Amino acid sequence: MKASRWLERGLRQALPLLFVTMLAVFGLLSPKFLSVDNLVNIGIQAAPAGIVAIGMTFVLITAGVDLSVGAIMFVAAAVAGKMALAGHSFSLSIVVMVVIGAAFGVVNAFFITRMRVAAFIVTLALLFVGRGFALWLTQTRAMNLPDGFLQLGAVRVAGVPLPLALFGLVALAAHGTLSRTPFGRQVMAVGHNRESAGQAGINTTHILGAVYLLSGVCAAFGAILALGQLGAVTPKFGENYEFKAIAAAVLGGTSLFGGRGGVLPGTVLGALLIQAIENGLVLLNADPYLYPLITSAIILTAVLLDSLRHLLLAKGRRRKIRREPADSPVAGNLT
Amino acid sequence: MNPPDALELAGLEKSYAGVRVLRGIGLVVPAGHTLGLVGENGAGKSTLLNILGGIVRPDAGQMMLDGRPHAPASPAAASRAGVAFIHQELNLFPNLSIAENIFLTDFPRAARTPVIDRRELRRRTAGLLAELGLDLSPDLPVGQLSTGQCQLVEIAKALSREAGLIILDEPTTSLSARETAILFTLMARLKERRIAMIFVSHVLGDVLRHCDDIAVLRDGAMVGQGPVREFTIERLVSLMVGRSLAQLFPERKGAPADEPALEVRHVSEPHIVHDISFTLRRGEVLGLAGMMGAGRSELARILFGLDPHASGEIVIAGQPAGRDPPSRRIRNGLAFLTEDRRAEGLCLDAAIADNIALVTLRDRTRTVLRLLDFKRSRQAVNTMWQAVRLSESAAPDQPVRTLSGGNQQKVVLAKWLLAKPRVLILDEPTRGVDVGAKFELYQLILELADQGAGVLLVSSEIEELMGLCDRILVMNRGELRDELARSEFSQERILQAALPLEETRE
Amino acid sequence: MADPSHIASRPAPGLIASNLRRMALSEHLVLWLCLVYFAVMAPFVPGFASPENLVNLFVALLPLFLVALGQTFVLITGGIDLSVTSIIALTSVVGAGVMNGHTGWLAGHPLAGLAAVLVMIALGAGIGALNGLAVTGLRMPAFIVTLTGMMFFSGLAVWFTQSKNIGNLPASFNRLGGNPWLAGAIAGIVGIFAHRMLTRSLFGRWLFATGHNARAAFISGVPVRGTTVVAYVVSGFCAALAAVLYTGQAETGSPVLGQRLLLDVIGAVVLGGTSLFGGRGRVLWTLCGVLFFKLVDNSLNLLNLSIFTITMVKGGVILFAALLDAARHRLTGRNA
Repeated sequence: MKASRWLERGLRQALPLLFVTMLAVFGLLSPKFLSVDNLVNIGIQAAPAGIVAIGMTFVLITAGVDLSVGAIMFVAAAVAGKMALAGHSFSLSIVVMVVIGAAFGVVNAFFITRMRVAAFIVTLALLFVGRGFALWLTQTRAMNLPDGFLQLGAVRVAGVPLPLALFGLVALAAHGTLSRTPFGRQVMAVGHNRESAGQAGINTTHILGAVYLLSGVCAAFGAILALGQLGAVTPKFGENYEFKAIAAAVLGGTSLFGGRGGVLPGTVLGALLIQAIENGLVLLNADPYLYPLITSAIILTAVLLDSLRHLLLAKGRRRKIRREPADSPVAGNLT
Repeated sequence: MNPPDALELAGLEKSYAGVRVLRGIGLVVPAGHTLGLVGENGAGKSTLLNILGGIVRPDAGQMMLDGRPHAPASPAAASRAGVAFIHQELNLFPNLSIAENIFLTDFPRAARTPVIDRRELRRRTAGLLAELGLDLSPDLPVGQLSTGQCQLVEIAKALSREAGLIILDEPTTSLSARETAILFTLMARLKERRIAMIFVSHVLGDVLRHCDDIAVLRDGAMVGQGPVREFTIERLVSLMVGRSLAQLFPERKGAPADEPALEVRHVSEPHIVHDISFTLRRGEVLGLAGMMGAGRSELARILFGLDPHASGEIVIAGQPAGRDPPSRRIRNGLAFLTEDRRAEGLCLDAAIADNIALVTLRDRTRTVLRLLDFKRSRQAVNTMWQAVRLSESAAPDQPVRTLSGGNQQKVVLAKWLLAKPRVLILDEPTRGVDVGAKFELYQLILELADQGAGVLLVSSEIEELMGLCDRILVMNRGELRDELARSEFSQERILQAALPLEETRE
Repeated sequence: MADPSHIASRPAPGLIASNLRRMALSEHLVLWLCLVYFAVMAPFVPGFASPENLVNLFVALLPLFLVALGQTFVLITGGIDLSVTSIIALTSVVGAGVMNGHTGWLAGHPLAGLAAVLVMIALGAGIGALNGLAVTGLRMPAFIVTLTGMMFFSGLAVWFTQSKNIGNLPASFNRLGGNPWLAGAIAGIVGIFAHRMLTRSLFGRWLFATGHNARAAFISGVPVRGTTVVAYVVSGFCAALAAVLYTGQAETGSPVLGQRLLLDVIGAVVLGGTSLFGGRGRVLWTLCGVLFFKLVDNSLNLLNLSIFTITMVKGGVILFAALLDAARHRLTGRNA
């Protein structure tokens, strides 16, 4: 039983270890990798997916999932693009994007909490509806957006590039919310056991609704930053972001089974790791066709580790009937 | 003027699926008093407490809390009314800290912001913990606490709600001696604050020592109530078990043979059971008595192969079971009627016939493709249907969910009987079953034994065990404490072996 | 006076409510939906009811039916297989890689087509086995395992072909998919076999038991793990078979084959009556569900609606199907 506790602890340290190892490996293979410029670049590139992953973290903690985030990004970007090209003000477009994110979140929340349909089906359906809608809006053509958007990528706030600053801000706010507000703590409780949480007096419907709303809004923010990087909306906008978000969160320690997870360092580190790997592969001129393979391999590993951790924890929680002479007198029922 | 009673119950009734679980319960807990609630498993204690705690609603009766009507629609409502229910199964969140668990729904906040005032949170929690004599940091994750400490945290939670009535449901079962002492000191302090308590425990000595009044439940009725000085352990035990032979048991026609059906040798699993050895003979009905939490169900699951055991051997009808999975043991003749028929014994949404046929499907297949022989299946199901005397108004295609508890249990039994088992383990087979169906189940069990099977009967009803069994084993805290031959059967002896002895606490 | 029991009698459902309830639970709901939809749309959609269109519809329907069939097995166990579209793509390109006339391993060989089919089926079944093992052995949630699998295997397919299609396939192979009789026969045989397995075999019973209550099934001696793995193998096998038909129809192996199918597959299966919660499912229901989806697809295409609109409509239908499923689940649950 001691062994499983060691294993569990080990699994928790896996992420930072992995990160450092990977940095070392890529650094050895390509000296450019560890340059300050490149590292900052990684941060900037990771920002859009990172923000989406932060929103996803909340959803995953409640043992749910939001597969529609990529589609939300696409719709928000497409709408903003159309507005911008039609001459509307840049800030209005941004606001509309956030509203769209929230709207999708509300729809998800409604079907999941009130209609009791499984989260993955609802968000999957919305994924298709959203993508279809956005493809229609853009007529499958790329939209080049006015410079206002590209500025987003170039602007610096107190010397820090805007994407990084926004990423950091959102991360801090999310971390604070999760760890220091009643809402955040209740999210953790609901994720551990929805029934117990209800019995303890928590309004689980509100909590669940709120996390999907958050996820939608974060997707919108992610879209804003992604626009800043690309300056255009292509038919592949936001594609596979749901994967990246889930991967980043799970790598960062959030469990698909609910009840555990964190934004800082967790998800943020996970997002940086994934981006760093992609960045490293590019620097090494690796075959671009390998990217999805590598990303999915990473996700699979992360999910595998999560499942193992979950299995070990469940074993440790079996009810004890008698004390054994070997037991220590002090606390420790999770061996 | 006298302060109103903390709690007053009158005429409380509750039935589940036709079984009357609470019969006109009347109870009084004067203000600031501690009431010891005593009774066997199945006597109705849990139901009564669940009603007080807002988890279920009574069919009839009135409740007054502090002179005001009490009819909570939910646990949250009961909590708001000032009732704190500390369950045996703890309701804490291991992924949150002690402080967060206690103040989960009303965190102290920093001046009108949504941010938790950590300092205040820690301060208040530390204060509560200090009162409890718990030397723990408020920020410690609950997942790292022992069960005993968790229990005390639950009490801290109750204190934070300023409960007027605290219900403690078997709080000492997982506590060490030191923790138990802390608990009682705490209860004394709560008394000083004029908080009323209901203390449920099987440790009768504790009840007599720390309560002001006692109430004894038996078969859903209140059979004794009064100030503690009117009671002794002997009187309590006899009130708990003594009853007229209201229940009839079928005549036993056969007798146990010598050949062993199941041999258990020195089976141990750390923290669960210790050095269990016994032999179940063919044709014998062997009872396994004990309080809830003694390890009986856990032992049954180990015997069936659902849970592992670290050492010892299990031999089923001459075949060593080793590490065999349940499916292999079933083929060697083992059958297991689990404690929770809804979760583990039945596919509720599937048809009755499908449920009955499930274990023995393989026996009625043809050809390599294992196609089912429906005719034989129907015949087999019909035969069993008659044999267990399943309700005539039910159709084989009906979902099992629609049947009453007794009939559902018959379906589970029918399923296993079809397999013609050599050893049948039954875990609380008559729980939630009405008197009529009970008798029929008894008949079936005895018939099976008469046909040469060995039956291991786990039950919390001592009369049931005494009425059906040839021998009774008593388990206590994972060990076999006593063994009684039929001639030695006595309710008092069984109960005393089952009840926790205070001297054995380290 | 204390509150009377919370099992208070609900007011008797109104006539409309009880009729709606009966309709929702009806086994033939989707069949009716198909007929009604066809009748309603035929006058408005040019060429909808023409024999040529109906034949095309039939041929297009068959591969989808096969995939949906495999998915039905998985759903009955309470799981889901989101990787089917990637299995189609991967097996398509690998098969094409084996048999194509230019660079295939068996280029020109008379049995190339047959060998390719066998390879494809083996690959599909193998991926299915991997999925099944991950879900049962490692207790990983089905949707994430298969979703990740989808990403991985479609990435593999794209990498394998460097995004190019592989043409020049043996005519014998192409006929399998292109010829409505052959394709129909294949789908028919598999369908009938699957139906027999589900309704009449030991395995079928085990499958349903696992879906209803895996714990109770395990305690009753059902080999829950093995059964679940087989369900995923079936799904992979069916997806590979569908790939055979699709590849034959298109006469090319394509790494994006079946990309748009996921929605259709799940929507069709759930709409047909197989429950996402497990324990319910029929081959016939799936057939009706597939028919409905294809009717919708076909009619919207003939109306020249953009593919985006069609995707959105389908997304809406899948949502409706899931709602219906949840409602059915609730309704039958209250029959206690």
